[in-house]
Amino acid sequence: MSGLPTLCNNSNFAALAGNGGKRASSPSQKEEVMAAPTLSVPRRIWQTLAAIKTGVILLIVVVVLSAAGTVILQRPATDPDEMTRAYSPQVLRLLDTLGLTDVFHAWWFVLLLSLVSLSIIAASIQRFPNSWRFYSRSYKSPDEAFRRAIPVRALIPVNDHNEEKALSVADRVLQKAGFRPQRIVRENSFSLFGERHRFSQMAVYIVHLSLLLIFTGGTIDALYGWRAFLTLTRGQQSTQVQPQNGKVRDLPFAIRCDGAGQENYADGSPKRWWSDLAVVKNGQVVLRKQIVVNEPLVYGGLRFYQASYGKTGKLDKLLLTATPRNGGPAEELTIGPDETVSLDPYATVRLAEFFPDYALGDGQVYARSNDLQNPAVHLIVQSKAANKAINVWMPPIPGLEQNASSPYSFEGKDVQMAYFTGLEVSHEPGQWAVWAGVVVMGIGLILVFYFVHSRIWVAPARDVHGQLNLWIGGSANKNKDAFEHRFHAIVKQLESELKIFPQAELKKPFLR
Amino acid sequence: MARAARVDQQPATGTTLVLMVGLGVAFLLFMAFLNVVKNGNLLNDSNLLYAALIFYCGAGTLYLGFGITGTPAYIRYASLATWAGLLANTGAVAHRWYEAGHPPFASIYEMLLMFVWTLAVLTLIAEKKYDVKVIGTVTMPVAIVGVVLMQLLRTEVHPLVPALQSTWLHVHVTLAMLAYAACALSFALAMMFLIQDQVKTETFLAATSLFGIATYLGILTRFEKWGGLSVVAWDPEQKAEVFLSRGVRLYLVIPDLGWLLLLVLAAVAAPLILYSVWRNGHNKAMLDIANRAMFLSISLQVLALLFFALRARDGRYASLDVDGLFPTSLAASPFILSGLVGSIFVSLLYLLLLWRREELQRMLPGAEELDRLTYKTIAIAFPLLTLMIAAGAYWANRTWGSYWSWDPKETWAAITWLVYAGYLHMRITRGWRGRRAAYFAILGFAIVMFTFFGVTYLLPGLHAYA
Repeated sequence: MSGLPTLCNNSNFAALAGNGGKRASSPSQKEEVMAAPTLSVPRRIWQTLAAIKTGVILLIVVVVLSAAGTVILQRPATDPDEMTRAYSPQVLRLLDTLGLTDVFHAWWFVLLLSLVSLSIIAASIQRFPNSWRFYSRSYKSPDEAFRRAIPVRALIPVNDHNEEKALSVADRVLQKAGFRPQRIVRENSFSLFGERHRFSQMAVYIVHLSLLLIFTGGTIDALYGWRAFLTLTRGQQSTQVQPQNGKVRDLPFAIRCDGAGQENYADGSPKRWWSDLAVVKNGQVVLRKQIVVNEPLVYGGLRFYQASYGKTGKLDKLLLTATPRNGGPAEELTIGPDETVSLDPYATVRLAEFFPDYALGDGQVYARSNDLQNPAVHLIVQSKAANKAINVWMPPIPGLEQNASSPYSFEGKDVQMAYFTGLEVSHEPGQWAVWAGVVVMGIGLILVFYFVHSRIWVAPARDVHGQLNLWIGGSANKNKDAFEHRFHAIVKQLESELKIFPQAELKKPFLR
Repeated sequence: MARAARVDQQPATGTTLVLMVGLGVAFLLFMAFLNVVKNGNLLNDSNLLYAALIFYCGAGTLYLGFGITGTPAYIRYASLATWAGLLANTGAVAHRWYEAGHPPFASIYEMLLMFVWTLAVLTLIAEKKYDVKVIGTVTMPVAIVGVVLMQLLRTEVHPLVPALQSTWLHVHVTLAMLAYAACALSFALAMMFLIQDQVKTETFLAATSLFGIATYLGILTRFEKWGGLSVVAWDPEQKAEVFLSRGVRLYLVIPDLGWLLLLVLAAVAAPLILYSVWRNGHNKAMLDIANRAMFLSISLQVLALLFFALRARDGRYASLDVDGLFPTSLAASPFILSGLVGSIFVSLLYLLLLWRREELQRMLPGAEELDRLTYKTIAIAFPLLTLMIAAGAYWANRTWGSYWSWDPKETWAAITWLVYAGYLHMRITRGWRGRRAAYFAILGFAIVMFTFFGVTYLLPGLHAYA
């Protein structure tokens, strides 16, 4: 009598009598199976889809293929060179043709997952009517056969004429135990019925529904979601993002970088990358946010993530001191590329060129690398007095420099290189379904595992000798051993409240 | 059932052993205290861990005594020792957390710290709530090995790279640890069920041998053509692995280790082969030989562990990718180490079963109770697994903009989830009980182990952190 399946009950009797693990098929199903030749194809497909065996087989196939997808090198993530290194050309060709180098995006994998979803839906729909019938109609009044068949039961002898008192005592006890008993009217007496957590019978459907929600979200994202990359330097603004494969995408608004930086730990490893972003729509700044890794900017259904940070190799700002030749205080000035700064009402200086790492060749200056190793600066000083452009070079490049004729001498103080910030942009319209599904699944699992549908019936019964007894029976859809403890406790309490010495009960059927 | 020759033991009476253990613990603590007071800084996590180790050793000895002789007095003091060890362990965790500025989940050292702590907690829960007193016989030795390993793997507190600085990471890793602990517990309960369900001892022999074969085959995927074994290089100043570039580790080849492990693999496989011969021929003597082969296997496994430990600690080795000689360390090969130690431990557990099966069966709960407990434990593990995957997905979404990228670790976590969902389905809907359910639970834990160890060791991916 153990192992009573309680998720699907055709009737309470079927549940108690222990139909084993098989679904009690409804009469119409039986007829249809027997009338096989007239069973339509769609109906047969539906039956197969709803069968548990189908679900199990489908899941095994999903598991095997997913495992294969982790063991076989997958294409978007692995370099093509590594692929050719790992597999011989024939093997690689075979894997590619079968789609095994991109399992999770192959059409047959998507089809497989759709079939799994369909099987969940079919199985749920097929079982739902029975569950609903059980859920919606309480079996409140235990008849003779039921009272004999139920395994968890007890019989308490009661004095005659005390039927009403006994029932009211039982009412009180059940109330205290949290069962909220109701009075049921029978032919010529009353009985009691109390239950808790009826909803847990439907909890399993909540769990499966949540799975479907998650699948839906994933599918939406697979079809309509996309990811792209965007690099910005300080002050730069862009409306275009670059997906990994495919042409540039246009955004309905612009993203501007107002600043970016990196903080390091004492040992030099990166601690924090940040970017000050502004969303610009129709020329107006609509949103500002400083983003870091783990904290994206969200606007218009798009999310901007801090992905990376690095040097562009270009100059951001140069800090100089300019000392006038004919005496006078030295000036400090900050100048950017191609920027013109006035030194005095008569002279200006422009930063014409900057080389972070310069080399000389053929009388020309060229950039050897992007790293700040050997900088060279080319300034052009325009003096109203001299009325010509003077080329100042730091360090002085022979043949190019005219430092001597410059009214000011310059000294470089500090160099600030320009950095770019790398942003990951993603559009995931389906993620809300996914998170909703996760929450619903959490709730569903709690309901499934931690809420037990338990029922207790109390009815007066007269035995063959005419002795009045109080019959008590109980049932729970899971955690039966814990329920039996509670049942014992309730019976003990009833006995003590009725102040009756527990005589030998007619049966001690506390079977599992 | 053929039995190997019993080793002679002098069972100590209850009080003698307790007194000896008590004195030993007190002595060790006193010596450690003297040593530490000289250097100041009493309550750092290294000292607390050492205190925890001493207490766990005491507890382990008493639990083993209980496991072997069944004297109930041992349990009381073993519990006390476990409590004391847990207190010290908690102190170590708190100290490490405070020093590092983040919950201790960022390196193998910290993971081991939490693992040992969880083991102690589980031992006490199993004892108090479920009345399975003998579980300490298994968990305490594992905890001791764990603490010893931690002394070898001592790492500096490394500040976290930006991607790991998220609360959701801590939530995800905590849930992972809890879920894996629950799965491990369900595995232990399923094993105990099989013992109580009268599965034959020789079946356990075959299973132990099979486990050893799987472990050694896994390690031997790093076998190099001329008999060496690939291990990761270790920088002793940085106390970290050596990386050639982002995500690409520098591998060295320890010569001859591959051949040795191959030899040990043969010794580990021998019991299984002899078992098959016995099954086909029913020659009783074969089973006896198979059990002797198990002894040989254990001895050789210990040798392999010592050889590996010594080679890894001393010496500089060449790499296939770069010129020059580099050092390595046990800390660089946590999986090889776990595999070797784990296989020895499982083999020893088999010996315990072989010698003390009747006593074990007396002390463990009944088969049906264990079957129910297995289900209850998985009913706790499954929601934890679900939440772990969800938290991981949420963290990935916040960090990389994608909640599911079919990363090998993610995929195998999903497979684990599906397998346990399968167990629950089979049990609730199909009424699977007893042995079928136990095997399913064991399969589930095997998948958990692969997800935790195999994916990181055998398959590459984004989950390079753990």
